Amino acid sequence: MANKIVIDPVTRLEGHLKVEVSVDLKGGSQQVIDAKVSGTLYRGFEKLLVGRHPLDSQHVTQRICGVCPVSHSLAAVMALDKAFGVGVPDNARIMRNLVLGSNYIQSHVLHFYHLTLPDFVKGPNMPPWQPSWATDRRFDAGATTTLVNNYLKALDIRRKAHEMGAIFGGRMPHPPTYLPGGFTEVPSSAQISKFKTYLSEIINFINTVYLPDIEKIAALYSDYYQIGTGPKNLLAYGVFDLDAAGKTRLLKRGMAMNGSPSIQPVDVSYISEHVKYSWYADGTDGLNPDAGVTTAQYPKTGAYSWLKAPRYLGNAVEVGPLARMWVNGDYRRGISALDRHRARAYETKKVATAMQTWVNQIVVGKPVFNQFSIPPVAEATGLTEAPRGALGHWVEINGGKLSRYQIITPTCWNASPRDKTGMLGPIEQALIGTPVENVNEPVEVMRVIHSFDPCLSCAVHVVSLNEGTQWVVSESCPL
Amino acid sequence: MHISRRDFLRYCGISAAALGLTGTDLMKLGELLASTSGPQVLWLVGSSCTGCSVSFLNYISTTSPTSAADILVNKINLTYHPSLMATAGQDAAAIAEKAAVSGGYILVVEGGVPTAFGGGACIAWTYNGKDVTFQDAVKRLASKASKIICIGNCSAYGGVPAAYPNETGVKSVAAVTGKTTINIAGCPPHPDWFVWAVVQLLLNKPFSLDSSGRPAALFGKSVHDMCPRKGTDERKNYGVEGGCLKELGCRGPQTRANCPAVKWNNKISWCIDANVPCIGCTSPDFPRTPLMKVGEGSGSENDD
Repeated sequence: MANKIVIDPVTRLEGHLKVEVSVDLKGGSQQVIDAKVSGTLYRGFEKLLVGRHPLDSQHVTQRICGVCPVSHSLAAVMALDKAFGVGVPDNARIMRNLVLGSNYIQSHVLHFYHLTLPDFVKGPNMPPWQPSWATDRRFDAGATTTLVNNYLKALDIRRKAHEMGAIFGGRMPHPPTYLPGGFTEVPSSAQISKFKTYLSEIINFINTVYLPDIEKIAALYSDYYQIGTGPKNLLAYGVFDLDAAGKTRLLKRGMAMNGSPSIQPVDVSYISEHVKYSWYADGTDGLNPDAGVTTAQYPKTGAYSWLKAPRYLGNAVEVGPLARMWVNGDYRRGISALDRHRARAYETKKVATAMQTWVNQIVVGKPVFNQFSIPPVAEATGLTEAPRGALGHWVEINGGKLSRYQIITPTCWNASPRDKTGMLGPIEQALIGTPVENVNEPVEVMRVIHSFDPCLSCAVHVVSLNEGTQWVVSESCPL
Repeated sequence: MHISRRDFLRYCGISAAALGLTGTDLMKLGELLASTSGPQVLWLVGSSCTGCSVSFLNYISTTSPTSAADILVNKINLTYHPSLMATAGQDAAAIAEKAAVSGGYILVVEGGVPTAFGGGACIAWTYNGKDVTFQDAVKRLASKASKIICIGNCSAYGGVPAAYPNETGVKSVAAVTGKTTINIAGCPPHPDWFVWAVVQLLLNKPFSLDSSGRPAALFGKSVHDMCPRKGTDERKNYGVEGGCLKELGCRGPQTRANCPAVKWNNKISWCIDANVPCIGCTSPDFPRTPLMKVGEGSGSENDD
């Protein structure tokens, strides 16, 4: 007889996530045999940008997510750069990358130490670290103390990563300095020098604390190389432009199906979205993102999420650091809960190391901004990567104002519910087969979910705006 | 643990002036911290981006090693925070549900309260198999709270999710509960502002709120009043260092906050210092449009 377990809230992530799993004996071991992942917050800021001044978009869309606001900023101004037909000076491109990189570091460090580590070790003996689940803790007292101390050290490092980002970003989170045509901050030698000092301390932490701690988990929990696999289809839009035209990137764009080392080009026309199990009316099921409108319907029989189910050629797709590192050829060990953590950690090192080069490429005194004019009618896309995966902004301008704005966030892919064929979303698939030792403390389920670093703030705060006044309620996962 | 209550007191000693504390206050705080584990704090997250929590984690004093960890370890008993707490599911929900019965805690609310769809646009948790809406959780927890701090514009005023046309019917905590709330405005708020309010509550020191529920001591002056660029040459476009940003739509004169004094991220910078006009993020009407203006020679018109 299967046990049904509901975890709500799934804590230590951004936003509101509920998971329901059925656990039963299979092949002699107790494991997850079914899973439903629900986004339980819908923030209808859908019409918010329509009619607004285009320069509002980078500020407003940042408020979709306080953990990855910089990625939304960048996607917004990348779209506007194209819509305005304005180039970006090298200094501005570099500062955009440096502030984004700073936020990658703070996000990845926060995710591993503060959101994930309590799944493996007992924290300090007080709230919010207690009470906690004691099931399957494998570290001895000495190793636990070291990791808890590193948890505290990591609080300092992620703060310092934000301070580093604020040198050029003005403030963090929600840096206001991204601008179509460039950047507002004008770099000085003193700022460059300060940035390097921060970066050097942070890289030292990554090399001497973060990476060794990841490998400690990997050594003691190596069974998690076989747990949490998911659909094995990996998508990355690519990020960190290395030239003015955006032709080369530190992390490339591409797609790998079924864990293949062969990387395919990305074609957004292969994307369709499903609402059979989402709180939206059924009329638009299976359509390409460009088609139709969506009407919220809550409650709705059989539905269990505010997220829609995007699919690529009908397949559920994983996005995030593992997808990026896989597509880029930097990480090919495997696809699992543990591989996600390791890929994320090695990506942190890769980005931080590249930032050392970039900061030296700033030329003090050179321009940071190119003048633009706002055309009466325009349409453009900004594709980038948030720390937790592929992010796209689609912008339309009419009468010099925003007339349509559409955002596709990473967690829309990862935390999506079933589609019309009944195919499970990526996290749901990854949960199937996960062993559960104690149904009262299903920590293994938490570990698999956390490996994806879900951000429900993003997933449910997406914007989808259609021109005109007939627009009813937007898509939760517009694609 | 490396961080002791003594560290926190040392921090307070160093920056007592900044926090407005007297010697007597410090002694009282010392006794309080020595004798108890701190008051229970429940931190709920609703229609939010989690940016206020992230900003809180950036808390630091310029002259002390003390950080957000000090607050968590030494100052308060944070029994509920969805992004930080170790436990999950029913065990997590039970902490909040039991507190809602016993009362006597400080309630911190981050995020607005969606009221459309019967509150179904935001589920706080599942308790004993039943979905509890955020609206219901806030109402019940607010009624038994000793004090309510709204961190950020969303809980204080509705903020971004409540901006026109506000499809999910997001309201402020005060509007939903009818209670007086201490509004730590900002999108996000500066961490010093939040910590200031917590310290005042710990010391049981009364403080006045302005007509928007903000502590007058923090939000008494406008950004423009304190701006180091006040009276300097007006800049007509972006990409230039320095100068008054009035022509680019700066909301400094209408925005009450002490950003020019506290600066951001360990005093590294702040918006105007980075040549960005103030976008007015501590004002109840944030995010009004336009948030900034195009510069001279853009060939585009600006709205007012």
